[in-house]
Amino acid sequence: MRRFLAPLALSAALAGPAWGAPAALQVAATTTDLKALVEEVGGERVKVESLAGATHDPHAIEIKPSQIARLKRSALLVRIGLDHEPWLARVVVTAGNPRLAPGGEGDLDASKGIALLQSETPRLRADRRAHVHAFGNPHYWLDPENARAMTAAILERLARLRPEERAVFAANRGRFLARLDAGLVRWRRALAPYRGARAVVVHESWPYFSERFGLAIVAAIEPTPGVPPTPATLAELAQRMKASGVRLIIAEPYSDASLVRQVAERTGARVAVLIPSVGADPAAGDYLALFDLNVKRLTAALAAQ
Amino acid sequence: MIELLALPFLACLVLTLMHVHLGLHVLARGVIFVDLALAQVAALGLTVALLAGHSLQGEGAYGYALAFAVGGAVLFALTRTRGGAVPQEAVIGIVYAVSAALAVIVLDRAPQGGEHIKQLLVGSILTVSAGDVAALAGLYAAIGVAHWALRRPLAEVSLDPEGAVRSGRALVFWDIFFYASFALVVTSSVRVAGVLLVFAYLVVPAAIASLFVRSVRARLALGWALGAAVSAAGLWASWAWDFPTGATLVSAFGAAIALAAAGIGTVRAANAIRAGGLAALRPAAATLGGLLALAGALLLALPGMDHPWLDAVESAVPQVRQAFLDDDEIEMLRDTEDSLARGQADLDRLRRMEQDVRWGTLAMDPEREERLRQFIAGRAEIVAGDQLVLRTLRATARERQRFPLGLLLAIGGGALAFFFGRRRRPAGAGLA
Repeated sequence: MRRFLAPLALSAALAGPAWGAPAALQVAATTTDLKALVEEVGGERVKVESLAGATHDPHAIEIKPSQIARLKRSALLVRIGLDHEPWLARVVVTAGNPRLAPGGEGDLDASKGIALLQSETPRLRADRRAHVHAFGNPHYWLDPENARAMTAAILERLARLRPEERAVFAANRGRFLARLDAGLVRWRRALAPYRGARAVVVHESWPYFSERFGLAIVAAIEPTPGVPPTPATLAELAQRMKASGVRLIIAEPYSDASLVRQVAERTGARVAVLIPSVGADPAAGDYLALFDLNVKRLTAALAAQ
Repeated sequence: MIELLALPFLACLVLTLMHVHLGLHVLARGVIFVDLALAQVAALGLTVALLAGHSLQGEGAYGYALAFAVGGAVLFALTRTRGGAVPQEAVIGIVYAVSAALAVIVLDRAPQGGEHIKQLLVGSILTVSAGDVAALAGLYAAIGVAHWALRRPLAEVSLDPEGAVRSGRALVFWDIFFYASFALVVTSSVRVAGVLLVFAYLVVPAAIASLFVRSVRARLALGWALGAAVSAAGLWASWAWDFPTGATLVSAFGAAIALAAAGIGTVRAANAIRAGGLAALRPAAATLGGLLALAGALLLALPGMDHPWLDAVESAVPQVRQAFLDDDEIEMLRDTEDSLARGQADLDRLRRMEQDVRWGTLAMDPEREERLRQFIAGRAEIVAGDQLVLRTLRATARERQRFPLGLLLAIGGGALAFFFGRRRRPAGAGLA
């Protein structure tokens, strides 16, 4: 039956609605960004659910029974890896789906094959100040070039699970990469005049983004998330920002508003609220829209100086 | 420092004036955790406001928080039990836990995450704005005037509910008034200072004042003075020792009440010695002996575990460690300590240089910048290696300290505890 339907499924997937085709592949992703990328490759042939919402802190989420049930049915679990999802191991055990266990055929750590930033060796880390990201900064999806490696890994895995649909997945990825290339040209051109601009971030979420687009991040206002900065840190930061003419603050939607406002008022810097995840803002509905929106906000803040 | 901490200090003073007054009532009523419960109910109101599509900073969200908190206040007024089977603390605790749980459920469905609400509960006294302080001061002045005008019935209802009922006061009405103004204060204060700090302002100055003076007027005055002094000390400590401001203030309040308790304990001990001679110190000596015996037993049984008391003794009196090391090891210890100090100083200097390069105050070509980074990494490795050597030497000493020091402490401490704990309480000889 399935073999008979496979060519049909192929044409159906290319044509649009997949009626009559074998059921779509059930995929779980830990974040909305991974979900967006899996959907770009899988298209109509996958049904993806993100375990963490776009605005939830992926470090600390409380899983729900319906999500455990979904994990039981899922053929694939795509995760950010590193130490981004400390809650995940227990959830996978509870779901009792051995395919999704680390190293299993349904487990995809998207960080494999990414050149990580801020990954010091453990002994060097010990005497630095508190640092949540022990294995390198996990916000690698914010460099659009990294989407190549991530979608390549997703394609390989989807094709292994559904060999008969490899061509569909590869075609989807090809179309996505073409749009991504066009986007990169667009984003680079928009940000080219500001190459080397220095900025202060609230959290260390933007090293990949700034590396790609030529921003220089000089300091973080809140180096340890959730721990407010000390008065001395804040005073030194404001003084250095004024002295060296750093006029841009990169904040996230959930940054402490009064903290950001105060640093901005003291230093005369502009604030750009950038969106770290697909879906965290209505205008950032998919992976490419996320960068369109962030580049737009960043250029607006930089141009106003 | 003055420029940065002036507004927070002003906010602290406003909080002190209002909260010490309410704190005296809260202590008299024995409803210590009502503040945390109302703050949590207000936070639940904020999450519901999120669900309804309001932004957290807006007036709409404040209205929701206030409405929920006043609702909680009415509930507390209605459940004030006198001699019933369920104490009011139970109701307060239930309200706290259930509203915190409901907030989690609501947040799961809300379009925005809970980060902002967490921040509200932590508070941001350091980044308070002049407008915040002015609004708070105006509101609290109004509430303060109302409470002053109605001070008699309010005091009676808090301190002597039975008498108030006998003299014909409508207890529920006054309770609702008290808790509703309390809810208004808590909702407004938590926005500025966070849950923990508001709780500290409410309870600690009033509690310390109650330890020392009796009349309401004197308690209020002493509480205000204490609140202002501890605020100043906490803000100073946060600046001088580089700690987050809100948490430092709360800890300063903790230190203040610990100091007050230690002072009272010292006075009592002195009085007891004057009355009964040194024999009054027997229980303290027995306790000390017991603790020494416990420390010795732990050193005997688990020499590899952390013994922070022994580390402290060794850093104060290096001979305690050196007596257990041979000459070569002592020399290695000294060399490593020197090299560690030098390496750390180097590292600090290089990191400052790297900072300057990052900020653009020091120009450096990319190749030298990369060399600097490599150099820092190398230095950090050497420092880490030195620290490892020190740890190894400490472990060596610890292994040799195990039997002589551990046995000495266990037997000596045990003897001390037995000798001093024995005669007073023959049945309690098992103290050691």
